[in-house]
Amino acid sequence: MRIWSRIRSWMRAVARRSRMEREMDAELRFHIEAFAEDLVRRGVPRGEAQRRARIEFGSFERAKEECRKAHGANFIDSLVQDLRFGLRMLRKSPGFTVVAVLTLALGIGANTAIFSLLNAVVLRLLPVPDPQQLVQFTYTGIGDWNSYFDYPQLERLRMQAGMLSGIFGGVGVNQVNVVWRGSAGLAQCDAYTDNFFSVLGVAPQQGRLFAPGDDHEGADIVVLSDRYWRSRFAADPAIVGQTILIDQLPFTVVGITPPKFSIYVGGARDLWVPLHALDRLTPDPNRWQAPFTSWLLIAGRLRPGVSLEQAQAELDMIHRRLLAQQLLEVEQPGQRMRQFVSASHLVLHPAANGMFSGLRHTYALPLELLMGVASIMLLISCVNVANLMLARASYRRPEIALRMALGSGRTRVIRQLLTESLLVAGAGGVLGLAIAWWGGAVLVRMISTGDSPVPLDVRPDWPVFGFTAAVSLAGGILFGLVPAIRGTRVDPGSALKQGAHGITGPSRFLDRVLVAVQVTLSLVLVTGAGMFLRTLKNLQGVDVGYERDNILMFSVDAKLAGYPKERAAALYRTILDKAAVLPGIQSASVSIVRPVDDQYYLVDIIGQVDGRTLPEAERVKVAWNAMSPGYFPTVGTPILMGRDFDLRDSRAASGVVIVNESLAHRVLPGQNPIGHRLDGAEIIGVVKDSLYGGAREQPRPVLYRSLFQGQGGTDPGEWVGMGAVSFELRYRSGAGLVDEVREAVASVDRNVPIFHVKTLRAQTEDSFLREHLLATISGFFGGLALLLACLGLYGLMAYAVARRTAEVGIRMALGARRRGIIWLIVRETMWLVLAGAAAGIPLTVWLSRYAKALLFGIGSADPAVFATSVATLIGVAVLAGFLPAKRAMKVDPMVALRYE
Amino acid sequence: MDKQLDLLQGTLDMLILKAVSLGPLHGYGILLRIQQISKDRLEIQQGSLYPALYRLEHQGWITSEWGESENKRKAKYYRLAAGKRKLQTEAEKWNRMADVIAGILQSTPEEV
Repeated sequence: MRIWSRIRSWMRAVARRSRMEREMDAELRFHIEAFAEDLVRRGVPRGEAQRRARIEFGSFERAKEECRKAHGANFIDSLVQDLRFGLRMLRKSPGFTVVAVLTLALGIGANTAIFSLLNAVVLRLLPVPDPQQLVQFTYTGIGDWNSYFDYPQLERLRMQAGMLSGIFGGVGVNQVNVVWRGSAGLAQCDAYTDNFFSVLGVAPQQGRLFAPGDDHEGADIVVLSDRYWRSRFAADPAIVGQTILIDQLPFTVVGITPPKFSIYVGGARDLWVPLHALDRLTPDPNRWQAPFTSWLLIAGRLRPGVSLEQAQAELDMIHRRLLAQQLLEVEQPGQRMRQFVSASHLVLHPAANGMFSGLRHTYALPLELLMGVASIMLLISCVNVANLMLARASYRRPEIALRMALGSGRTRVIRQLLTESLLVAGAGGVLGLAIAWWGGAVLVRMISTGDSPVPLDVRPDWPVFGFTAAVSLAGGILFGLVPAIRGTRVDPGSALKQGAHGITGPSRFLDRVLVAVQVTLSLVLVTGAGMFLRTLKNLQGVDVGYERDNILMFSVDAKLAGYPKERAAALYRTILDKAAVLPGIQSASVSIVRPVDDQYYLVDIIGQVDGRTLPEAERVKVAWNAMSPGYFPTVGTPILMGRDFDLRDSRAASGVVIVNESLAHRVLPGQNPIGHRLDGAEIIGVVKDSLYGGAREQPRPVLYRSLFQGQGGTDPGEWVGMGAVSFELRYRSGAGLVDEVREAVASVDRNVPIFHVKTLRAQTEDSFLREHLLATISGFFGGLALLLACLGLYGLMAYAVARRTAEVGIRMALGARRRGIIWLIVRETMWLVLAGAAAGIPLTVWLSRYAKALLFGIGSADPAVFATSVATLIGVAVLAGFLPAKRAMKVDPMVALRYE
Repeated sequence: MDKQLDLLQGTLDMLILKAVSLGPLHGYGILLRIQQISKDRLEIQQGSLYPALYRLEHQGWITSEWGESENKRKAKYYRLAAGKRKLQTEAEKWNRMADVIAGILQSTPEEV
């Protein structure tokens, strides 16, 4: 009964709030009037009676407030009241509201955008059951590690491992050409063992996935991803059971994966074929037996209750036993191989958020760093809004004093002020989410190099929403609490008396501290931005050894159009001939590796110089490439000695090679290398060093082979048939060139697709993408931080000038010079900046350790960058202090003295 | 002892219940009744009376309804609801307490 009545009265209180308010008002009024009546009856004059009745009753509002509280309606009631009042107050000062909400929205939006990318790249778990049981296999070598195994390892591990409920292996087939109903299109294909989907625990959306027994050499089934099924086959369920051509070979579609299924971050696959379908797609008789090769990724699922360490111990034993056995089977194993076998251990990595991903590897650290930068940005936003709130609180002192004089408790007023802060934070959060929505997509485009954006889902999901809400709430309390506490520390009497001026207040020490903190944090961001901009500039300024401008490149893969290896070279040669005579083309070439390639990095070992076999320790590890005649003039790498390849270097002739300076110096120091032989091939030229893998590399020995000749009489098809080749065209005018190239290739064979169409300039810029991302975003935040610091300083100084009007008036009346007055104000901002910078420099030095791995050509504590940043901040401070100072200068002493 | 006594903590509720138990009253009436019974020896903060009334009503001990006052004005009248038992237990508790305290205060050195 009692509980029920309580609930009833509470519900009544909530539901009929306005009626209750009216009744309460009427009841209390009745009391006072009845009391006054009694007094009148006792002979007190009416006016005096009413006054006394009110005094005796005490605070009317407080009584009402306590009645509300007693009625249990207080919390919701006062919350609604606070919200309405807060909204009214915010509407009353739109300038403050807009600035505060925008500042916060930028801070929160930046955080959320970067968090959503971090979430998508690093944090999000695979959409499979119990993802934390998944592990990826890697092994250590001599000072390095590798995640690609040979096939016997996979077989042995699958056979003997007991701690795992399943082990699967697979490899990317990379780009394939899928023909359906006569139309061709490129797609990304993986080949995996037939337990791939069952170990992951994925159920088909349509049809079936792989089943035991699917993985055999004649395998001709294929599973489509949801994305590919929708984009290529318009989500037609009838595709299941039909035959499509992959690289001109028939495969039957058996099923579709569920949406979002992927095991790599940023590398969505379109098709999966059984592992042994490789025998049809890219035949290689040695693949299944060869030991000490690395081409196969392995992953598995731990049995429930088995720890990573336990499983690793078991797997390592199997791995090492097999290595020892494999070593015995190798004829005359080298020293390094023996070392490797004794040093190698199998290491498991958690794969709950996906297999090893290049995208994650590249961007995990930058994103974590940017997350830090964005957090600092948010902190600056909060400090800025806190400062605004402080200023506002001192303008609102009379109002707050009045409310407290009328009987509001201090906690009640603090709560009300906090509600206002949270309203601002909430608005900032909502707007921030919108900014993040847009910003996330922009970020994804910024890290995409390929022909289409990296497939990352950065649309806000629950973790992102939760993150934003938490950040907004924390921000609201952070910037709201201190001003609220300080703002309510008023003595109603004196505050009301002074109130008319509206700009009195307690000492501005806290405000100064906040502005100095802002300067400190800004310095961190500005310096960070400086370092990343410097890094980008340094990279762009590196002499890579070729000319970046006026070169168009495109890739072609004969395999995609069903060409057998033997005919690939002829196809490429025909395309080259066609491309070379296009209008506006100065020269043209074709090579396996293109400049700044992001696909291939070929390495080899030279073991013989002029017929002398080198001892193992002196063998030279080289990077190599193979190209047509005309490559060097086309990319602008000077030939220092000898000659370029030419068509006389035909298949029948003995092998010829070109070396770069580093290689020449390494194998034939102090000699003219022309005419000497490396592994039997004659050196015909020496070219200037160029950076094989891009600007971040040091020059290294590089060997150049002739693409159309083959090595030592072997079939050139062995090389040119193994993957795509890249064409390079040096052009005079690039207008319409891409279309002409497409037409030229189509005129050779309509079924040959071209891809990776890019200028060398763009390819180079793409290789700086990470640095570009860091520089752009940290630069953006640095600028924003400067702007906010400027606003903070300006606000503080404007306030100080207003407060010191009388002082300035006196000084000027006593003959102070105008310049002296300016100095008075500017000096104060200077001190703040210097104090902030003094704290900021060590903080930045300390924080910059984390960025060290991402810098290029610059130390993490570069004095020039620091000096520039501090100078920039001082410049901003002078700017921020100058306007208020100018206003102070215009003070008319007479007006100022009468002012208070 | 003409001086007015401040109300002991927690006794206001009991006094209100007692006052209302004698017949429905409006807030001001309750105040007057308590002063009258106590012969003006108790000081009640007028502002604190209403929160106590609201609390008691919220807890279900008393109920209220609007009626007409002696001088034909609308007023809110309170009457006892479940409060009879509450009043009884409170009064007993109070009396026991008063006895105990009186006993302590009257004790002589010999008794200890």
